[in-house]
Amino acid sequence: MFREESQDSGDLIQGTLEMLVLKALVRGPLHGYAVAEWIHQTSQQLLKVEEGALYPALHRLELRGLLSATWGASENNRRAKFYQLTAEGKKRLYAESSRWARLSAAVAFVMQAT
Amino acid sequence: MSLNLNEFLGRTKSLFRKRRMNREMVEELEFHQALLRERLIRDGLSQSQARATARRTFGNTARWHERLRELWQFRTLENLFRDITFSIRLLRKTPGFTVIALLTLALGVGANTAVFSLVNSLLLRPLSIPHSEELIVFGMYRGDLNIINSFPVPFFRALESKHDVFREAFAFFSEGMQVHGQSTNEDIPGVLVSGNYFDALQTPPIMGRYLTPADDRPGGSPEGLAAVISEGFWQSWFARSPNVIGSRLTIANTAFTVVGVMPKRFIGADPLRRPSIFVPLSAEPIIDAPRDLTSAGTHGWWLTAMARRQPGVTLDQINAALGPISMPIVRATVSEPSNINNLEKKHFHFAADSGSRGFTYIRSSFRKPLVTLFCMCGGILLLACLNLASLLMARAAARERELATRFAMGATRRRLIQQLLIESLLLALAGTAIGLTLAPLVSQSLAITLLSGSGGDTLHLDTSPDLRVLSFAAAIALFSTVLIGLIPAIHATSGSLNEQIKDGQHAASARRRNRLQPIMLASEVALALILVVGAGLLATSLFRLFTSGAGFNPKGVVNIALSMEKQPLDGDALMRLYQQFGEGLSHQPGVASVSFARIVPLTRFMWDDDHSRPGGVSHDLYLNAVGPNYFQTMSIPIYQGREFRWSDTMSSGRKIIINQAAANLFFPNQNPIGQRLLHGDKKKDEFDIVAVVGDAKYENLRDTAPAAAYLPITQIEDKKPSFNAIVKTTGPIAPLAATARALTTRLAPDIPAPVLTTMDSVVEGSVSTERVMALLSVFFAACALLVTGIGLYGTLAYNTSRRTSEIGIRMALGAKRSSVMALVFRSNAVIAAFGLAAGLATALAASRALSSFLYETSPRDPWIIISAVLSLGIIASVASLYPALRAARIEPIAAIRCE
Repeated sequence: MFREESQDSGDLIQGTLEMLVLKALVRGPLHGYAVAEWIHQTSQQLLKVEEGALYPALHRLELRGLLSATWGASENNRRAKFYQLTAEGKKRLYAESSRWARLSAAVAFVMQAT
Repeated sequence: MSLNLNEFLGRTKSLFRKRRMNREMVEELEFHQALLRERLIRDGLSQSQARATARRTFGNTARWHERLRELWQFRTLENLFRDITFSIRLLRKTPGFTVIALLTLALGVGANTAVFSLVNSLLLRPLSIPHSEELIVFGMYRGDLNIINSFPVPFFRALESKHDVFREAFAFFSEGMQVHGQSTNEDIPGVLVSGNYFDALQTPPIMGRYLTPADDRPGGSPEGLAAVISEGFWQSWFARSPNVIGSRLTIANTAFTVVGVMPKRFIGADPLRRPSIFVPLSAEPIIDAPRDLTSAGTHGWWLTAMARRQPGVTLDQINAALGPISMPIVRATVSEPSNINNLEKKHFHFAADSGSRGFTYIRSSFRKPLVTLFCMCGGILLLACLNLASLLMARAAARERELATRFAMGATRRRLIQQLLIESLLLALAGTAIGLTLAPLVSQSLAITLLSGSGGDTLHLDTSPDLRVLSFAAAIALFSTVLIGLIPAIHATSGSLNEQIKDGQHAASARRRNRLQPIMLASEVALALILVVGAGLLATSLFRLFTSGAGFNPKGVVNIALSMEKQPLDGDALMRLYQQFGEGLSHQPGVASVSFARIVPLTRFMWDDDHSRPGGVSHDLYLNAVGPNYFQTMSIPIYQGREFRWSDTMSSGRKIIINQAAANLFFPNQNPIGQRLLHGDKKKDEFDIVAVVGDAKYENLRDTAPAAAYLPITQIEDKKPSFNAIVKTTGPIAPLAATARALTTRLAPDIPAPVLTTMDSVVEGSVSTERVMALLSVFFAACALLVTGIGLYGTLAYNTSRRTSEIGIRMALGAKRSSVMALVFRSNAVIAAFGLAAGLATALAASRALSSFLYETSPRDPWIIISAVLSLGIIASVASLYPALRAARIEPIAAIRCE
């Protein structure tokens, strides 16, 4: 149990970004820029995803088979790479979000203690 | 996150789509930047401002690509590639080291593979016939330890009919056969085979049938005499005619019918022969006419006898079964009671040994030299590896700081070992590759030289690499890689590297001394000493063998072998032919004198008989039949009396010439001229001694000249004797060969083209084994000296350069240059002294293995051993002196400031 936690904390930043990316794609395929925009807007401009972290995360998820990628036309008719959740990716998203819920609740308990 | 299947597939896919992936990455990032710029412009920035801001937020695109690419790549593979390029760069930075490493390794691997392919083809490789492991070869024990493998026909025929523990017993005898070609007879390699030969060897013919027991009868089967030919002969003689079956072949002036053609891969049961013609054993009196070994019965020992064992029967069981039937066979076939008793007294019995590799007489005489050569090669390979390992170790030590830095920056120990190992792997692979490409050439020329003394041109040693040779080569490549790579790598990365990064080059003080390296260097010195002692012994022995003298002068002497058996002339007419042939040759420019001899000395042919003075004890004398002027032609001194003359015919009284050794034996302190000798068991022939001549070596250079006698060729009782013309010439050989051919076409058109050999090549051939061993051992020893010198120098130079600051401090504190020199020199001197002591002890113990190859040389010859120790000592001193001198020239201020 302890080991799992320590591992989680090590991957917190990266793991969280991946979770957000997966979440962004729940409602349908998006290209990289739109993923960053969606996270930025949805988080009330609180989270800004650096390109230097976004694309490695997208590619990593694609490589692991959680996302699939297709080339299609963007809103202004330019060729763009669209990412889409795979079945595996959906499963992972549910697992991640429940884990996140537990973790944030736990953090909240701790921080609210006086 | 561990590598899962998706990742693996994705990375594999990306390996093959590198270009497309790169293009898509660029496009994706470019798309992102374009959207970013558009938003910035929407926010009110100008075109150029937007571009600059986008570029700034985005950062270095090349780094981006790199990061994404890394994701899609196999980490290990990529690291491997990086390590390889890094290693190549390092090796190219030190070309001297690389070249020496490659050459020594190529030498070790090449020599080992070359000699192993000889060992393989002569001693290990089984015959390429079905179930060769079932074959056995028969032998006979006659009291002494030596087993005899030459069977008389009656013994073999008695075994042939047995089939309880073995079956398909067969016998064969390889010899040249005179086949009538377009105009004259040609000498074709053939083999006489008994009826079961082909059944036992289980190889179907590609055409027709093979010989069966029905063919192996005097006169052949009811259809006549049959012969089987090889595919090669079918091609060269019949141009692969499909109608070859049933055609006539005139062998030894007798018509044989071709009944079958054997495939190329079939070479019979002697791995060194490539017979073109197979004829039934019963045809031997025809083939060998006027000789007849078959009717010599139990007096002619000549056949190789083999068989297949019955399924499930062991060699021991066969030997047990052969024991009781041996003497009954002897009693049934030997006619003289005295011989039977003699054999019984010596516990004569038949024996069987494994015949899976076929049988060749050569094998027994080459086993020991080959194994010795193989050991020498192993020594040189070990030496090369030790040398490389210690050099690499010294290099690694010089790189300690670099390694420590990489270690500190997070490189794993495994990764560092991998890089070091790759460096040695590269060296090992390249060195092995060079060695392996050279090996076939070397083994081929070694085979030719080795066989030159045993009828080289009729023997074929197939040294081509097979699976066994390849696996051997792979094994030694692996062995050397691990030895030269792993030890230094493990060593270099062991211990506390953190401490080293602190200490850096200062660490190379006496405090942390490498313990493995001196041991390796000392064993190198020891190995080199052993090789040098061995080479010294073999070379000295060969030198003594050559300078011992043969008793005749081979210079400018040419032998011309003539085969007269199948031509029509006889008796005096044949002698006139020889005389005319000799006169024809003597008119040739450059020819000083011409004679004839039945046996060319040093060709391992032998003829002897008992001789006695009337009423005296008998002694065995080696015999030869020679023509007039023989002793002049061979430069053998005539102490008393005269040469033979053409007029010494049968009717003029039997004549004999004896050598000094025979004269001492029969006529001590008497004048032998005019005395008489009796010859043979029946002692009915009396010989007048007409001359006493100098002693000459007979069978080989090694044995002392035996007591010998010479008979005139004009008084030989053989029907159609074949002699060698012996010609002393100052001119070239080519015109002599042309003359000899022209003379035979004119005088004896039926005989095969005469074969010329120089006496020099005969002498060299008679010591071919000794020559090969001496040459190789001297070569190896020279390499060993060089390699050891380089090793001692290289490691000391590395070690000293690492001690530069220490030496600088010592000198700053007042150490004299001479004591610094001594300090550096001593470290190698101790190693060399230990190595020499160990090597000397081993050499003294091991050199006895060479004693059977040595001629008038003790395996512990003190002069040779002392010179070997001295030469290594000198090499070691020279190798250590230069680094010592360099150390003494260190300027203390510069050395310390360097830090």
